[in-house]
Amino acid sequence: MDDIPGTIRENSAVIPGYYRLTVRLERPLGEAVPGQFVMLKVPDREIFLRRPFSIYDARGTTVTVMYRVVGKGTEALSRAGKRAPVMVLGPLGRGFSVPPTGVCLVVAGGIGYAGVRMLLKRLGKRAVLFLGISGRTELPLLSDLKGIEVLTATLDGSHGYHGNVVSLLKEHLASYRSQGPTVFACGPRGMIVSLKGLLDADKVPCQVSVEERMACGLGLCFGCVAETKDEINPLKRVCKEGPVFDLWELSL
Amino acid sequence: MGTLAVDLLGKALKNPVMNASGTLGYGIEIEPLWNIETLGAYVTKGLSEKPHHGNKTPRVWEERHGMINSIGLQNVGVDDFFSHYFPFFVERKVPVIVNFFGFSEDEYISCARKVPSHHLVVALEMNLSCPNIKKGGISFGKDAPAVHNIVRAVREVTPVPIIAKLTPEVKNIVEIARAAYEGGADGLTLINTMPAAVIDTRSRNMPLKGGLSGPILKPIALRAVYDCYKEVPIPIIGAGGIMDAEDALEFLMAGARAVEVGTATFADPFAMPKIISGLGEWLDENNCAGIAAITGIAHG
Repeated sequence: MDDIPGTIRENSAVIPGYYRLTVRLERPLGEAVPGQFVMLKVPDREIFLRRPFSIYDARGTTVTVMYRVVGKGTEALSRAGKRAPVMVLGPLGRGFSVPPTGVCLVVAGGIGYAGVRMLLKRLGKRAVLFLGISGRTELPLLSDLKGIEVLTATLDGSHGYHGNVVSLLKEHLASYRSQGPTVFACGPRGMIVSLKGLLDADKVPCQVSVEERMACGLGLCFGCVAETKDEINPLKRVCKEGPVFDLWELSL
Repeated sequence: MGTLAVDLLGKALKNPVMNASGTLGYGIEIEPLWNIETLGAYVTKGLSEKPHHGNKTPRVWEERHGMINSIGLQNVGVDDFFSHYFPFFVERKVPVIVNFFGFSEDEYISCARKVPSHHLVVALEMNLSCPNIKKGGISFGKDAPAVHNIVRAVREVTPVPIIAKLTPEVKNIVEIARAAYEGGADGLTLINTMPAAVIDTRSRNMPLKGGLSGPILKPIALRAVYDCYKEVPIPIIGAGGIMDAEDALEFLMAGARAVEVGTATFADPFAMPKIISGLGEWLDENNCAGIAAITGIAHG
């Protein structure tokens, strides 16, 4: 883990409101596990706390994240131009743990794709991506993903399965039973809750990347917590004990 | 080269910089970036007699030049701190200030009793911003007689020096500081966060109420330190929006013996090491033999 100065090399909208940001770092980011994140200093004088982003890609001295504009921080970040200075703290948190064998069913809702993209690249042919988006206009989010089997659900029915991504997974889950599936998920809370309902009967192994507002990203402030079933210490830090949790340990 | 060493309540600290309670976890979390012995002292996360789970999220929110937090005093409890975390500070020989709180006089007393006299325990830092559940939830720190009573009650059960950490949400902080002193406090931390709220116009609700910290608080904290310095004859730790060495110097000159840095660490995890080296550079540039000599010099 390190706090590394860098400059923005690319920060462009993939589709309206969704940006891909690549930073050239002064030195390489430490070895990152899929599911880990970085805290990024937004190059704007009005924003002083850093913002957490899942690592989308990291190689050598470049690191890439994908984000959706949801508030003042990401809005200011979306205005940052090439060569703007940033600081990148990471890699942070506990990432996904990939089992040695079995098929990996990766479920992403909307911008949750950014949280599993590095995992997908690492898994390659072992992975099947179940992507939930609102409509076909969001398909370009996947434009740089090659060699992965993708099943898409759109809420408006404009592409692939008409409905939500958990319903789509439900239609296919039985066909993967014999392959010892592990499910990996990142998306809105509603998606995680309904995924839990789907997987509950067989307690299919499932790891979830959880999102929460953060201040430090280092486990210092206890600002980001997720409720777990741990009886002694139920509220775990998303930045430190997470962001990836075992679905069956979370209280949802 | 001038020395950054200061004396605080009979203990020698290598420098006057420490973290504000609750902004450096249990002390071990920062180790991948820098070593805890960098600090003059470590201030514990607020501890209580029994563990507290804290509040639901959202717990943090950024405001212009400040942040609002509502962690809810989540902590492992004083016993667990001393059995699991304190040995780390002993091994590193780092002085510790034990921040603690309660929701009743009994809870303050039982917690304070559990803190051992140890050569590395500099003091107990009493968080007086807590609501007194037996008095309709009014915070202990808002009323001079209440402050006097709670400090005296704790004073009677422990030989460890007591630092009263005061809330700025009072009519006259000098009066409150004096009540703490007369109750038996050996030092003051000025100030705690200020009550604040957030409105989210997108969801049209109030996502959280909590304590305001960060640079927006600095002039208010500085005023409290300046006003109390001449009026109350015990050492002051200045806290509130210190972001860099210049801010720290302002607090020392206003009358603080040491400073606590909180929110700055979230913006830059190296804020405290930078402040410490910045103070050292300032001593050299100003041919000053020791940082302790500048405490209160703004008073002439």
